[in-house]
Amino acid sequence: MAPPIPEAGPEMMTGVIAAIAAFLTISILLGFFMRKKAKSFEEWLVGRRDIGPLVTGFALVASYLSGWAIFGNAGLGYAYGWSGSWLIGTTCVAGTALCLVIGYRMRKYVALGVRTVPEMLKVRFESRMVQALAGLAMIILLIVYSVGQYKAMATVWTITTNTSFFGSLLATAILVLVYLIVGGYTGTQWVSCLQGILLTIVGWTLGITALIWAGGPTRIAETIGMQVFTAPGGTQTQIPLKDYTLSLSPPEGLAFPGVDYVGVTAAMFMFLFMATGFPHNIARFLGTRKITKREYWVMLLILIVGGLTPLWIGVVGFAARTVWGDVLMATDPPIYGDSAAVYASISAGGIPLASLFAASVFAASVATIAGMVMIMATNITRDLIHNAYPKTSPKKLLWLTKLMLIPFIAIPLWWTFTSPPPILSEFMAGSAVAQAGIFFFVVGISMYWKRATKWGAITTIIYGLILTLLNPNAYGKLVGLYHWGYWALLLMFGSALTYFLVSLVTKPLPEEKLKKLFPKRKS
Amino acid sequence: MTLRNVKETGMSKIHCLLAIMILCIILVPVIAYLIGGWYAYWGHVLLAIIFAVLAVFIKTQYYWEED
Repeated sequence: MAPPIPEAGPEMMTGVIAAIAAFLTISILLGFFMRKKAKSFEEWLVGRRDIGPLVTGFALVASYLSGWAIFGNAGLGYAYGWSGSWLIGTTCVAGTALCLVIGYRMRKYVALGVRTVPEMLKVRFESRMVQALAGLAMIILLIVYSVGQYKAMATVWTITTNTSFFGSLLATAILVLVYLIVGGYTGTQWVSCLQGILLTIVGWTLGITALIWAGGPTRIAETIGMQVFTAPGGTQTQIPLKDYTLSLSPPEGLAFPGVDYVGVTAAMFMFLFMATGFPHNIARFLGTRKITKREYWVMLLILIVGGLTPLWIGVVGFAARTVWGDVLMATDPPIYGDSAAVYASISAGGIPLASLFAASVFAASVATIAGMVMIMATNITRDLIHNAYPKTSPKKLLWLTKLMLIPFIAIPLWWTFTSPPPILSEFMAGSAVAQAGIFFFVVGISMYWKRATKWGAITTIIYGLILTLLNPNAYGKLVGLYHWGYWALLLMFGSALTYFLVSLVTKPLPEEKLKKLFPKRKS
Repeated sequence: MTLRNVKETGMSKIHCLLAIMILCIILVPVIAYLIGGWYAYWGHVLLAIIFAVLAVFIKTQYYWEED
């Protein structure tokens, strides 16, 4: 007989709060210690360029593993079975390796005074306009990304503390604010490294525990093979979950990436490009010291071990589906299948593992929201205001940055409050495609392709943002764009085409200026 | 062997490795369609790891850059 869906008691609540408090304390102490060591604000942002491969590797794992990977993947596995794998990201290691190969050159720009990704673009193209536009694009895309993080943490809080979902959203916003006030947001490489290690250990442990709890891989495969798709809300269909595609009915069903192999292809390219395209990922290399070839391999090993974490979370979803069937698709609105990871962590691992998992979701989502809020606020002050009015005093800029934290906490909170996404990872993939399509080329390729021009970058950002609005779940329906796969391919490869074509027909920077940005190769 | 020959051999090796990397991507949906289940799930990981190792190998072996 299947174990009942667990209910959280006071012990659970205490365990969760204690685990989160412990993580918060360690983060604050580490952040405080590193801040004390730094001689200036800028040094604190990127360190002294002395960060080694272990810390950079795990920090990269932490910035890559958001609420989507450490939490939402279970919802995908639970709701969609094998066809959820495409958004779980079974090939994500390939993408993070590309980020490792491409991103290392960011170091070159730190020596030229760069501290943020938009600033890197200003230096690369000698254009304040590219910097401002990239800052604006990041704000729009990160707001969408933050909505998913809110849902992740609020879900954990709802289930483990028996608070209402909307109350939990408010609690999440307060936690973000506390995290920002006490300085945890500093997210120095060391704090991020700690997060990366925690997420990897908990993700692997929970995945393996859930696999055993559900009766092993054979039983999971057999049970999923016999189940059918149930929509959020509880409406059952006759569509079997046994395949790697799920033929949901058009037109709404076409918005699911795993609906056919066009969507699958688009999802694969999204994972290939997005690790490099995420500005918060590639920025990790700003503080890295010069590393040897052997250390490069060490970083790859870390990325492989950490990169398997999202897959283990996907396994948790499969396990929950095996044990409880489709029951969760009809319960806890608007959480639905996204609750699979929390219930499975309680049922399979008891209070200790469930508390650690809650702390991990806290690390992945609250810390990520805090980091993103900081990035967005800095985008406004450093990339827009300071860009347009360079004489603005640093004191004013600092105050403005602090003021900007409030709207950037409130906007995604309001969004999640009024229109929470039924499956959070599916929602976040919309923003991920845009970040992949725009920034993989504008940031990643521009570091290696001398012929890239500012007009190539500008038109790519504008094109990418317009296509983002045409997401099938947003305004795409108005122009007949119902299919997620076609939309994502149009965004990513349209961005590539725009970037290369416009760059080729416009004038690049003079050779003598490019020399300092493009080091000579040593075979 | 002339310098030109050495360079050409290096380039053909890189092309060969790139072809394997492309194959790793193409095989992902193929094994999902033909095999499915857990074999496809972890098979994707294996292909992604091969892709990753080759990408880093090309970088460290042929495109290493000093400060």
